[in-house]
Amino acid sequence: MTASALLVEKATKIFPGVKALANVDLELKSGEIHALLGENGAGKSTLIKIVTGVYRPDEGSVSVMGSSVDFSSPRDAFAAGIGVVHQERNLIPRYSVAENIMIEQLPTKWRLIDRGEMNRQAKHWLGALDLNIDPDVPVNRLSVAQMQLVEIARALSQQSRILLLDEPTASITENEIKVLFDLLRRLKGDGVAILFVSHKLEEVFELCDRVTILRDGRNACAGVPIEDLDKQRVVAHMVGREDALGDIGERHASIGKVMFELKGVSTAAGHQDIDLKVHKGEVVGLYGLVGAGRSELAKAVIGAERVTGGEVFVSGERATVRNVQDALRRWRIGYVSEDRKQEGLILLHSVAKNTAITVWHRLGKFLNLFSDRQERDAIISFVQKLDVRTPSLEQDVANLSGGNQQKVSVAKWLAAEAEILIVDEPTVGIDIRTKGYLHRLVWDLAEQGAAIVLITSDLAEMVLLADRVVVMRDFRIIGNLQNTYNYEQMSRRIMGCIHEADVVVGRADGAPALKGA
Amino acid sequence: MTWSHVSRYLIRAEWAPLAGITLFSIVALSLIAPAFLTEYNLFVMLRILSVTSVFALAQMVVIAVGQMNLAVGAIGGLVAILFGGMMEVYGVPVPLAMLIGAAVGILTGWLNGAIIAYSGINGFVVTLAMLSVYTGLNYGITESIPFYNMPQVLLDTYDGKIGPVPNILVIPLVAAALVGLFLFRTRAGRYILATGGNPSAAALSGISIRRSVILAHTVSGALAGFAGMVAVARLGTAEPTIGVDWLLPSFAAPVIGGAILSGGRVSVIGTMVAVVLIVLLENGLLLARTDPYYVQFFLGVLILAAVMFNRWRAVSAEKVTAARENAS
Amino acid sequence: MSETISPAERLKTQVELLPILVRAANVAGLAIVILVLVTIVASLAPGFLSPFNLFTLTRNLAIDTVIGFAMMVVLATGGMNLAVGSIGVCSIMFTGYLLEGLGLPIVVSILGGLAVGAILGWLNGILVVRTGIHSFVITLATASLYFGAMLILTHAEAFRELPDAFNALGKARYGSYSALLLVTFVVGASLFVLFKYSLIGRQILAAGANPVAAKLSGTPVDRVIVIAHMLSGLCAGVAGVMVTARLAAALPSVGQDWLLPSFLAPLLGGTLLSGGVVSVVGTFLGAVLVTVLQNGLVLLEVGSFWVQFFLGLTLLVAVALDRWRSVYVQRAGLKR
Repeated sequence: MTASALLVEKATKIFPGVKALANVDLELKSGEIHALLGENGAGKSTLIKIVTGVYRPDEGSVSVMGSSVDFSSPRDAFAAGIGVVHQERNLIPRYSVAENIMIEQLPTKWRLIDRGEMNRQAKHWLGALDLNIDPDVPVNRLSVAQMQLVEIARALSQQSRILLLDEPTASITENEIKVLFDLLRRLKGDGVAILFVSHKLEEVFELCDRVTILRDGRNACAGVPIEDLDKQRVVAHMVGREDALGDIGERHASIGKVMFELKGVSTAAGHQDIDLKVHKGEVVGLYGLVGAGRSELAKAVIGAERVTGGEVFVSGERATVRNVQDALRRWRIGYVSEDRKQEGLILLHSVAKNTAITVWHRLGKFLNLFSDRQERDAIISFVQKLDVRTPSLEQDVANLSGGNQQKVSVAKWLAAEAEILIVDEPTVGIDIRTKGYLHRLVWDLAEQGAAIVLITSDLAEMVLLADRVVVMRDFRIIGNLQNTYNYEQMSRRIMGCIHEADVVVGRADGAPALKGA
Repeated sequence: MTWSHVSRYLIRAEWAPLAGITLFSIVALSLIAPAFLTEYNLFVMLRILSVTSVFALAQMVVIAVGQMNLAVGAIGGLVAILFGGMMEVYGVPVPLAMLIGAAVGILTGWLNGAIIAYSGINGFVVTLAMLSVYTGLNYGITESIPFYNMPQVLLDTYDGKIGPVPNILVIPLVAAALVGLFLFRTRAGRYILATGGNPSAAALSGISIRRSVILAHTVSGALAGFAGMVAVARLGTAEPTIGVDWLLPSFAAPVIGGAILSGGRVSVIGTMVAVVLIVLLENGLLLARTDPYYVQFFLGVLILAAVMFNRWRAVSAEKVTAARENAS
Repeated sequence: MSETISPAERLKTQVELLPILVRAANVAGLAIVILVLVTIVASLAPGFLSPFNLFTLTRNLAIDTVIGFAMMVVLATGGMNLAVGSIGVCSIMFTGYLLEGLGLPIVVSILGGLAVGAILGWLNGILVVRTGIHSFVITLATASLYFGAMLILTHAEAFRELPDAFNALGKARYGSYSALLLVTFVVGASLFVLFKYSLIGRQILAAGANPVAAKLSGTPVDRVIVIAHMLSGLCAGVAGVMVTARLAAALPSVGQDWLLPSFLAPLLGGTLLSGGVVSVVGTFLGAVLVTVLQNGLVLLEVGSFWVQFFLGLTLLVAVALDRWRSVYVQRAGLKR
C-alpha cells in the first residue's frame, strides 16, 4: 500500500444559503487514477477548489504527502506540487500557447523572459499530448478542443506529483482522449496521483482504479475500488435511491392544440433547419450535450439572438419576435435562464423588483408611475405561490439560497403571464427538496395550460418530467422521442440518437417518434 | 488585391493603420506648410513629445492591468514642484533631486496601488481621490507660486545636442523601450497583462492580482513623476499647474494606440505613434494658423474615430475567426 | 434561519425595516458627519452663519448638487459621463447667445440652453449604445469635442451683457438662502420620483445592475441608457444655466473644473460606480458635505490651497467606510 498523496478529511464549505460540502472525505494515493463523480452541483468543483487553494474549507483538513497544509491561494497549492485543469477555461486571452502553458514558471535569462526556451519547453509538453500546434500562436485563435489540451499541457508542465483533472474530456475528440489516457497511464506508472472528474462513465471504467462519489455535497461513497462497482451502482450512488428525484405526484397531461411552432428556423448563432412543435399543456424536453446549441436556440426564440430564416408561429399566428420586450408583451414567451446569477436575476435588487421587472410596464397609469405597494400587490401572489422563502419582499436576492433565487426567476415569468415558458437547467446547484418542488412546478404550469420547453443536462430529470424529448446536436435537431419514463431505456435511446446522428436524421415536428415510441 | 486581403492585413498589423495615418500627416504637413520640416519646428515638437510620451506610458501601464490612473497628472505636478523646489530652495544638485523626485513618484504610485489592492475600492475612485490629495498637497506647498530658478545645467542638458541629435530624443525612445521590455519580456510585466486580460484565470494560475495591481501603479507613478521632471526642464520653471491638462492626452494616446480599457491589451508602439499623431495634430493646426480651439475639437474627433475603428477591427476579426471555425 | 419560517405570514407582518435601516445608514451617517462639521465650523468661525455666507454657500450648494445629479444619472447605468462640464459650458454659451446675441425672452433662452444639454447628452448615449465602447472613452472624447466646438463657435468670447431680469435669478434669495436651491429641489424631487416610482427609472437601475438579466427580462437596455445620458445632459444644462445666472455672464471657461465635484457628490452619497444603485438624497448630502467643507476651510483660514487635499481625503475615507459597512452587512447577513 502506498502512502496517500492527498488526503481530505471532513471538508465542509458553506456558501451564502447553501452548504456546498459537508464532511467530505477524499484520499488520493500515489500511482493511482481516482475518479471523482457526482451530478452537477454535487460539489465536485468546490472540492477541487478547496484542494487547489481557491477556497478555504470552513471545517476539515487537507494534507499533502502526509503533512497537513492550509492553502491560502492557488500559488500555495502549486508550490505543494498540485497541478490542476479546472472545469472552466482558464487561459489568458491574446497570450501565446507557450506562454499559457509556462505561465507559472516562465523561463528567464538575465531576468528577461527567454522566449526561445519557453517555446521549446512548451513544445515538449504539447508533444507529449501529440499536439501539433505552433507554440507562438495566441490562444484565442485555437479551437475549443485545442484550448482544453493546452490547459492539460499546462498542468503536465508543472510535473506535479498530484494532478487534478476536472472534466478534461468535455470537448475533445476520441483520438485526443486516447492520447490523453495513454499519457495518464504513463504518469500513473511514474507514481503520480491523478484525480479524474468526468461525466462519462465509460471513461471512468476504462481508466480509473478507485472511485469517490459525491451527492448533494456529501460522500455517497469514498475510495471504493472500481472492481466493486458497476454502472448501475455508480448511477445509484450519484442519484441516490432509485426514486431519488422524489415522488412528485401524478402527471395529469392534457395536451391541447399547437401553441408554439418553429419551421425551418435558422439563427445567427448557427442553428439550421430547426423544426419544433410544442402543444398547450405539454412539457417538451430539449436534450443535448454541452455546446449542442440549446440555450442559444432559446435566446433566439425570445428575440435576444437573431433569427435569420424560417418561420415562428405562436398559437397558429405567424410571429416575428423583434426583441425580448416583444416576446414578453406580445407573444407571452418567457425564458428562465440557466445562469441565474449572470442572466436571470439582478442580485443587487430586491425580491420585489426582480419579480416585478416583467410587469412594470403595465403597473403605471399616469406617466408610467407606480408605487411600491402597487408593485407588491402585483407580484405577492406569485411569490407566495412559489413558496419563496424570504424574510421580506425587500430582501436583496443575493441573500437568498440558490433554490429560492431560482423560484424568484420563475416567479417573474408567472407574473408576466407567460404562456410559453422555456426553462433552462432549472435545478442546477439546488438542494434536493427544492428540486422536487421545482419539478412539480413544471408539471403544474403545464397542467394549467402553459407550453413548456425544458432544457436540462440531467437525464434523470429529463426522463422524469418531459412528455417528449427532442435531441439536439451541433445546432440541429436530430431526434424526437416519446418519453417512456423508463430511465434505462430512454438514456440508451437518447445517447444512441446522439452517437448515430450521422446516420439517422430526425425531425422534431411532433410526428410519430423517430425510433418507436 | 481583394478587399478581404486588405481587411485581413488591417486586422493583422495592429498599429499599421495608425502609423499609415501618421506618416500621411507628416508628408501632407511638409508639403502644405514649409515651416513644418524646419529644424526649429521639429525640435519644438520633440520637446512636447518628451513629456507627453512619458505620461502616456504611465497611463498605459495601469490600463494594462485593467484599471485607470486619474492621478497621473497630479503625481506629475507634485513631483515637478518638489523637484524644482529642492533645487531652488535647498540647492540640491540635479541628479540627487531627480532621485528624490523618482522616489516620490514611486511612493505615490505605490500608495495608489496599495490602497486599491488592500481596500478593494474601485481603482477609479481611489485615483480620483488621490488626484485631489496630491493636487492639494501641491497647492498647499506652493500656494500656487512656481519655482522660477532652475539650474542652468538642467536646461542646457535638456536642450543640448550630440552632433545633430537632440538629447531629448533619448527620453521617448528609452522610456518606450523600457516599458516595452518590462511589460512583454519580464515575468512581472507578463503577470500584469495576464491580470488585466483575465483576472480569474490569472489568479488560478497562481498570479497574485494584488501584487500585479500594486506594481502597475508603482511603475505608473514612477513614469508620471519622471514626466513631471521632464516638464520642469522643458518649461524652465517648476509650475504647480504641471499635469493639470494631462488627463485627456494620457488616455487618448493608449486608447488611440489600440489599448482596451478593460485591460490585458496595450501596445507600446501604438501608444507612441498615437502620441506623435496628437503632437502633429496640435502642430499642424498651429501652422495652419487656425484658432487654438480647433485642437480640442479635433482631438475629440481623433479619439472617437480611432476607438470606433479599433472596435470595428476587433468585431471583424471575431467574424473571421468564427467563419474559420464554422468552415473547419 | 429564515428558511424555515412560513413566507406567507412573514410577508404580511414584517415591515421591511432592516433593509431600509441598512440603506438609511449611509445617508444617516452622512447627515451626522455634516451636522458635526457644521457645528464645529459654526462655533470656530462666526462668519459661517452670517446671511451673506449662507447665501453664497447655498448658491454653490444648489449648483454643485445638480452637477452631482448629472453624473449620478449616468452612474446608475454603470457608466460615466466625463462630458458633464463640457455639456454645461455649451449650455451656458448657448443660453448667453440666445439672451444677448438674439435677444430672445428669458424663458425661451433657458429652454434653449437646457435643450442643448439634453441633445449633447443624447448624442453621448447614442454613441455609447451604437458603438458598444465604454462610456468613459466616449465621453472623454466628446468632452473634448463639445468643448472645442463651443470655443470654435464662440471664439472664446463671453457674453457679459445679459438682461437684468435674468441676472436677478442668481441673486434671488429666500430668507438667507439662495433661491436657486428651489431649482435644485425640483430637479432632485423629479429624479427621486423617476428612480423610485417610474418605469424608466426602474429600468435604468436594472440595466445598470445587470444589463444581461435586464435585457432577458424585457428591458429595452439600449433605450434606457440613451435616456439616462440625455437626462444627464439635461442636468448639466440646468447647472449651466444656474451658473450663468450666478455669474451674470456666460463664460467659456466654466465647466473645466466640474469633474471632481460631479463625482464627489454621488460617490459620497452612496451611489455605486458599478451601477444599479443611486441615492438622490445621498447625492444632495454629499454636495452639502463638500460645500460646507470647502467653505469652512476657507473661513477657518486653513488656506484655500488645502481644500483639494481635504476633499480627496474625505472621498477616500467615505468610500472606505462605505466599503467596510457593506462587507460588514454582508457578513452579518450570512450569519442571520
